[in-house]
Amino acid sequence: MTPKLDLLQGTLDLMVLQTLDTMGAMHGYGIARRIEQVSDHQVLLNQGTIYASLVRLQQRGWIDAEWGVSDNNRKAKYYAITRAGKRQMKSDRLEWQRLAGVMGKVLSAVPGGEER
Amino acid sequence: MSALRRLVQRLRSLFRSDALDRDFDEEVRSHIEFAIDDFMQQGLSEADATRLARARFGLVEASRDAHRQSRSLMWVETIAFDSRQAWRSLWSAKAFSLTVIATMTVAVALNTSVFVVMDAVLFRGFPLVKDHDRVLFLQEQGPQGACCLSYLDFEDWQSQAQSFEALAFVRSKSFSIRDGAGRPFDVSGTQLSTNAFRVLGVAPALGRDFMGDDMRPGATPVVILSHRFWQSRFQGRADVVGSTLHVDGQAATVIGVMPERFEFPLRIIGNFWMPVPDTPDIRARGLANSGFVAVARLRDGVTREQARAELETINQRLAIDHPDTNRSVVPRLASHSDWNSGTDAPLIWGSLWVASCLVLLIACANLANLMLVRTLGRWRELATKLALGAGPMRVMRQLAIESLVLALIAAGAAWWLVIWGVGTWDVVTFSMYQVLDYSIDARAFVYLIGAASIATLLMAAPPMFRVMQAGEGDAMKGDARGVTGRLRGKRLGNVLVAVQIGLAIVLLAGAGVLVRSFEHIVRADAGVKGADNVLVGLMRMPSANYMNQGDRRQYVDRLKAALAAAPGVEHVAVASTAPTRFAATRFVEFEGRPRQPDDERIGFVKTSADYLSVIGARAVDGRTFSDADLAGTLPVAMVNQAFADRYWPGQSAVGKRIRSDSPLTPEWRVVVGVTSNIMHNDPLRQNFRPVVYVPMVQEPLGLTVYWFARTTMPADRMATTMRPLAEGVDPNVDLEIFSSLADSFAFDRDFMDVEHSELGKHARVAPLFAGIALILSALGLISIIGYSVDQRNKEIGIRMAIGATAIEIQRLILREGMRPVLAGLVGGMAAAVALNRLLRSQLVAVSPNDPVVLISAAATILVVAIIASLLPIRRAVSVDPVIALRAD
Repeated sequence: MTPKLDLLQGTLDLMVLQTLDTMGAMHGYGIARRIEQVSDHQVLLNQGTIYASLVRLQQRGWIDAEWGVSDNNRKAKYYAITRAGKRQMKSDRLEWQRLAGVMGKVLSAVPGGEER
Repeated sequence: MSALRRLVQRLRSLFRSDALDRDFDEEVRSHIEFAIDDFMQQGLSEADATRLARARFGLVEASRDAHRQSRSLMWVETIAFDSRQAWRSLWSAKAFSLTVIATMTVAVALNTSVFVVMDAVLFRGFPLVKDHDRVLFLQEQGPQGACCLSYLDFEDWQSQAQSFEALAFVRSKSFSIRDGAGRPFDVSGTQLSTNAFRVLGVAPALGRDFMGDDMRPGATPVVILSHRFWQSRFQGRADVVGSTLHVDGQAATVIGVMPERFEFPLRIIGNFWMPVPDTPDIRARGLANSGFVAVARLRDGVTREQARAELETINQRLAIDHPDTNRSVVPRLASHSDWNSGTDAPLIWGSLWVASCLVLLIACANLANLMLVRTLGRWRELATKLALGAGPMRVMRQLAIESLVLALIAAGAAWWLVIWGVGTWDVVTFSMYQVLDYSIDARAFVYLIGAASIATLLMAAPPMFRVMQAGEGDAMKGDARGVTGRLRGKRLGNVLVAVQIGLAIVLLAGAGVLVRSFEHIVRADAGVKGADNVLVGLMRMPSANYMNQGDRRQYVDRLKAALAAAPGVEHVAVASTAPTRFAATRFVEFEGRPRQPDDERIGFVKTSADYLSVIGARAVDGRTFSDADLAGTLPVAMVNQAFADRYWPGQSAVGKRIRSDSPLTPEWRVVVGVTSNIMHNDPLRQNFRPVVYVPMVQEPLGLTVYWFARTTMPADRMATTMRPLAEGVDPNVDLEIFSSLADSFAFDRDFMDVEHSELGKHARVAPLFAGIALILSALGLISIIGYSVDQRNKEIGIRMAIGATAIEIQRLILREGMRPVLAGLVGGMAAAVALNRLLRSQLVAVSPNDPVVLISAAATILVVAIIASLLPIRRAVSVDPVIALRAD
């Protein structure tokens, strides 16, 4: 098992937003499981860290939370992305893609960097 | 009610992190249960699944800490975010925002300003005096209001009374001094016992206090200066102690300067203080030549009533020992604040403060109304937010933050307005008879914040309550046009309008009776005619230059001649006092009737021969004085009608003989005529008191004399041209007033009695409050009816499309709009009748339930309400039905 990625500030937030945008309303466990699956278990050292991100997003008004009942009749808090959240996600995503592109270029511009 | 409880709970949870922790714990439990389910489905045993689920979650404590940290950090960020949003939202509704800010600013500033003034007048006024609530001013009162305190009585109080730590005495006196150019002038100063400052607990800021020896006969005269006098006369020189001031021709050594703003005995701005020389002439019993005031500090634990009882006992003993002078002489006690502010001050300032609180309440109703109307107006936006799951809490927070932003701006503006307003009040009401400290301190700030907070709460609560209700379930049932939503919001609005109208009536009625009382005084019949064409002035001759009678008479004659020569002047007369002002009193003895113990003192007025005709009065019987009445001729007098009716009812006064108790003029005088009544010696100007007139040439002349010039044109316009003429006669004589006689009747608190000394301020401020209340109520009506009209655009369109006329629609909406107005009117009238009774002691010749006042207050409200309603209604009927129907 490769060591898990150390997440940059805001990365997890974007992942949560993206998850809620594609999957609709979910509870915290569901979100955590989904991120683990999508990232091939490379992020999320502890599932508990998801909750700090959730409360942060909630207070920014990007997601909303409501207590509800799950399929198997279990009480759970459901999160859903808001319109402001979608806007935020789009701009953050663009930002990340640009940054990833730039990083790729910068790193590949060092010839034989690994041999040194 | 349960909705309200829930609201409170939610608000509280915002600030209570343990509730949020519990919420988090529950979420963690559900998370782990989900995980256990998953692992068990993968075939693990329950124990293994549980262990693994916990491991995957990580440390709950660490996670909770991170959760908490985010929460607290975000709190600040969210506020910044919401504030920006609120600002944008308010900026886009500028008219609304400005109305809210202006309303709140005015109401909070008014309320705080009244508090500052009340605080200064009643509680704080005397920052320099130590424990001023333990300080009493003591005087004596004899039959018919004679005052003040004889020195020997004071000595008895001092030696016998146990209630006081110490007693001092003081009297105001006019002193002659010279200004820098050697010009003599008279100033008011104070004579006192050497311990007076120590009784007050105030020490000189410079130099030393008086000592016991300074009072001894033959001691070097010493003087302590007031801060003001030190600044003006000695330019605030630091080395003033030891310099010399010539007072009444005597060289007095300056030994000290009192601190700034120290005025004592406080009713009069004194220039300096000197010890009373302990000479035999002050040692007298009886009130005839007294004029002292005692200042006493109560011993700890002694109440004012105990002190009063003790002094009364002493005075009863004195009455037995000295029946000639002390019969029915009783002590009078005044607290420091009564003495300085008048006994009516607590009632006046208390009621003005209550009135300003009512204005604040009206403003709050208005603000709540505006917020409510705005909330309902953008119900669609809010309902959408609610429907999208924003949660009532979030919407309410948005509303709360918008209110807070508005309140902060308003509070800032109000603070500025208070500083400006109180400063202006200080300047406008400045009286040399009452020096008050109106400095604005931390108390004022705390008070303003409190008032603004209450206003904000009352403003924000109704719309938040409405959202709260919506959050309970009907948010998606539609926007505010849903039947229930509209009705609920409007019902609340109508209640607010009714409350406003009711409060406005109370204020109008209260102001009305006060103004009418005040008018009764100012407009009272002074007994003169054509007062607009009489110029009146007061001359004060400096005692140093006018010691003898000949000089005084010569000056008065020259002044009369100079004034009479001016173009536009018909006649000039002089007298010892002016109509409505105080005439010095004496006892009168009637020929053939010995003086009786309960005889009252009668006002005496010395006049020149043509006085009555100049001021527009006349003789109703006999003759007036003539130029033939001279110092050496038969002593004569006139009496007024009130005098004749009182003492010689049914007889002719002409030919009767009277004399006064004044030792300077003991001769019998023949009454030669009866004058029409002229107002003197009733501070409230309601009754003509008996007055005796004597020819000025037959009596000694005082240093102050009033002159009257009958002019051909309005006297106001002549004042500026006449002044140089008068000043040319002798520049050393102070000339005061210079106004038309009519203007000189304007209210002047210094001529009022102590129970009504603040009435003038009251009568001027109260209508301002009532006016603001009226405007606010009108605004409230405009906004609630405007909202109602907006909501019914479609209905109005339909009605007009099927043929209803504009008039019919106006009537329909007006009828609906008037319902809360009428409810408020009825409630307000009942409250006004109940509350006006409290003002009874301030009212002059007006009943607290004066029908004229009550009816005009109601009529004013009704007219304003109708006009305020018509504005939005006119807009409604001008709507094109087609457009109205097409709009959403």
